[in-house]
Amino acid sequence: MVVPQRPDCKLSRLSLAALRSAVESPSPLELFTWVTFALFSLILVFMASAARLRLEVEATLANRVPAALSLKVKQSPELFPTGIGQIDRALGGGIPRGSITEISGAASTGKTSFGLATVAAITQTGAACAWVDVSDSLSPESAAAANVVLKRLLWLRATAERKQKVTEKPWSRLEQALKATDLLLQAGGFSAVVLDMSDVLPRHTMRIPLATWYRLRLSAEQARTALIFLTQSPCAGSCAALSLRCQPAETAPFNRNGETALFEQQRYVLTRERNRNESVLHKKPPMRAEWAAETLWTRVR
Amino acid sequence: MYAVLHPPDFAAQAAAHERPGLRKRPFALLDGEPPEDTVFAANHAARSIGVLVGMTRLQAATFPGLVCLPRVVEHENAAQDTLHTIACSFSPRIECVQDHPATYALDVRGMNTLHGDVSQLANKLRRRVMASGYLVNVAIAQNYHTALCMAYGRTGISVVPPGFEASALGQLPLSVLNLEPSHEEIFHSWGIRTCAELAAISETDLIARIGQAGKRLHALARGESPHLMFPIEPSFEAGLVERMNLDFPVEILESLLFLLSRMTDELLERVRAKARAISSLRVILHLDNGKQHERIVRPALPLQDTPTLLKLLQLDLEAHPPSAAILGLELHGQSAQPHRAQHGLFLPQAPEPGRLEVLLARLRKLLGEQHAGSPELLDDHRPNAFRVVPFGPPPPAKSEPRRLSVPTALRVYRPPQAIGVVLTNGAPSRILWNGLKYLVREIAGPWRVSGQWWTEAGWCREEWDVRLAIDTAECVCRIAFDPRSRCWYVQGTYD
Repeated sequence: MVVPQRPDCKLSRLSLAALRSAVESPSPLELFTWVTFALFSLILVFMASAARLRLEVEATLANRVPAALSLKVKQSPELFPTGIGQIDRALGGGIPRGSITEISGAASTGKTSFGLATVAAITQTGAACAWVDVSDSLSPESAAAANVVLKRLLWLRATAERKQKVTEKPWSRLEQALKATDLLLQAGGFSAVVLDMSDVLPRHTMRIPLATWYRLRLSAEQARTALIFLTQSPCAGSCAALSLRCQPAETAPFNRNGETALFEQQRYVLTRERNRNESVLHKKPPMRAEWAAETLWTRVR
Repeated sequence: MYAVLHPPDFAAQAAAHERPGLRKRPFALLDGEPPEDTVFAANHAARSIGVLVGMTRLQAATFPGLVCLPRVVEHENAAQDTLHTIACSFSPRIECVQDHPATYALDVRGMNTLHGDVSQLANKLRRRVMASGYLVNVAIAQNYHTALCMAYGRTGISVVPPGFEASALGQLPLSVLNLEPSHEEIFHSWGIRTCAELAAISETDLIARIGQAGKRLHALARGESPHLMFPIEPSFEAGLVERMNLDFPVEILESLLFLLSRMTDELLERVRAKARAISSLRVILHLDNGKQHERIVRPALPLQDTPTLLKLLQLDLEAHPPSAAILGLELHGQSAQPHRAQHGLFLPQAPEPGRLEVLLARLRKLLGEQHAGSPELLDDHRPNAFRVVPFGPPPPAKSEPRRLSVPTALRVYRPPQAIGVVLTNGAPSRILWNGLKYLVREIAGPWRVSGQWWTEAGWCREEWDVRLAIDTAECVCRIAFDPRSRCWYVQGTYD
């Protein structure tokens, strides 16, 4: 094999000359200058060699592995619309498929309403979804009211320690829920899986090892499932592709037009805190969307 | 070649077999509700003194020395089972003749290597039946109906060589052809008594006089009537059973799975041969303490896949383990048409049926039977009335989304959490919940709901929607007051 003339030979010679000059130089300032110059030249030499080496490896393996050492170009993920127009517009279409979406917020901030609206939109397309309920608090009536196709919803209720409050020691329930989520993602076929940890205190969710979230993220990616977490505070860290924060909007007072007051609607604000699917160059600032959820009797009126 | 096995006076023989003392005495079997019972069957000795089938009990009682007995169907069934077993041991293809009870036609083609030529086979067959205590006529012929008529009309063994059917039938009376009463009367008036005389008539003339039945009777008398045999086949479903007895008790389930795997394979092979699948498996474990442990695994869709079925069995047995060591096991299968589905490239994502079954079994084991499934609302006014049904998503189909406003979801507490309430002017103003004091900022209610008041399961409550505040946080809840127990509790939180 004929070895071609290496283009970085001049640079190598230059750096060696610089080192020699540094050794021969009398003053410390000159010594420092020459050493810096020599090191910089060497770095350039190595970078050029590495690039050349990479090209050689890729050319050799081109038949078997195309672009073996090149970074994979990230495709923009498929999105599931949430069924709430304001949120879809803020998120650029919906929540991503094959990734973790984390929705966090305190009680009465619209997490469950948002989760049910998303599941309803997905089940109406004919796909199957699962709702992993750590605290066994999903109301089937609310799900039906949100237009969830109940036959396409697999509802898993954690059962351990039923006598204890969820907020006390939720470890068994959390373990069951995480195992169930793992099983769902491994089996595949579900378009969305909601892990509802809304009633679990942040100090408990924060103790779940990060490795668990990494494993779930990989499983969700392979199963092409949108994994949605409902929590009081963010816990999945960098594993969540989309992180949303729910907050109450300005309080809508109970309607007092009739004889008695009537709770009619609740207004919420959803803030997009992080979206890992955005390119680094076109990163957008956090976006807010305000939306409202109405009670069932408002529809009747 | 067909061999026909016909026991004459079968009912009388079956009765005499149960009571050997009656063999040499005249007796008659009576059937029906007394006093309207009539003679159903009689033995040869009774017939020789003039007893006829159809006589009333009083008429039969006039014969001196005649023993009248009620008919016992169980005795006849036992006798028929014996004859059936013997017939099965001589040929795999046997047909039960409808007109005469316990009469069997055997397809003996190719049986010469086992039982010798047709004469030897007929002798063996008759000796075997006589050894079991019954008297039978055996006839062998190339033509099915010829063999049948010979067995009806000739006592003992009759072997008709091929081509001699007409001459063999010639001397037999016409009664062997099972004539209808009208035809019997016609032939009697014509002076025709034997099959040979009937065969001698021109077929065309016979058809012209008695119709198309004449063609069949003519062919029967000549020994040329064709027959399509419908052999008795054992029930396929009843045969889907595998049994195994163990030499010593087994306590570990994993080692049992090796046996179950082999048995499931055997069942699936049989099922696949019929292009079917297994719709349910029933496992019966015979335990060391003498009890039985029975479990049924019923996948949502019929399966033809051993690993999936085995996994379902394993998960079910792990969730419901037997109470003692296992001494024997039985596996009963039930077959069904295999599931077929039309897949499409553009259909939404759906769980694969086989994997879904295993997944649901795992989840049921992890969470419990009633904690993995689809919710289904009940037709009930009671709030939060639902039941959990097995998850079986319908085939993927897109439905038109309904454009309705987003409803506020209620997060339900199961069971409801008890709270302390401070009332001001009959309405809650402060709430003590989980050791925290909440201030009621806004309130709507009370909404009085009740139901089932006409039964013991009646319920009644006053519901309030409240906006609670503590420090800077707020939440909207539904609280309720139960007038029966005088107790306040939180039903859920709007989220």
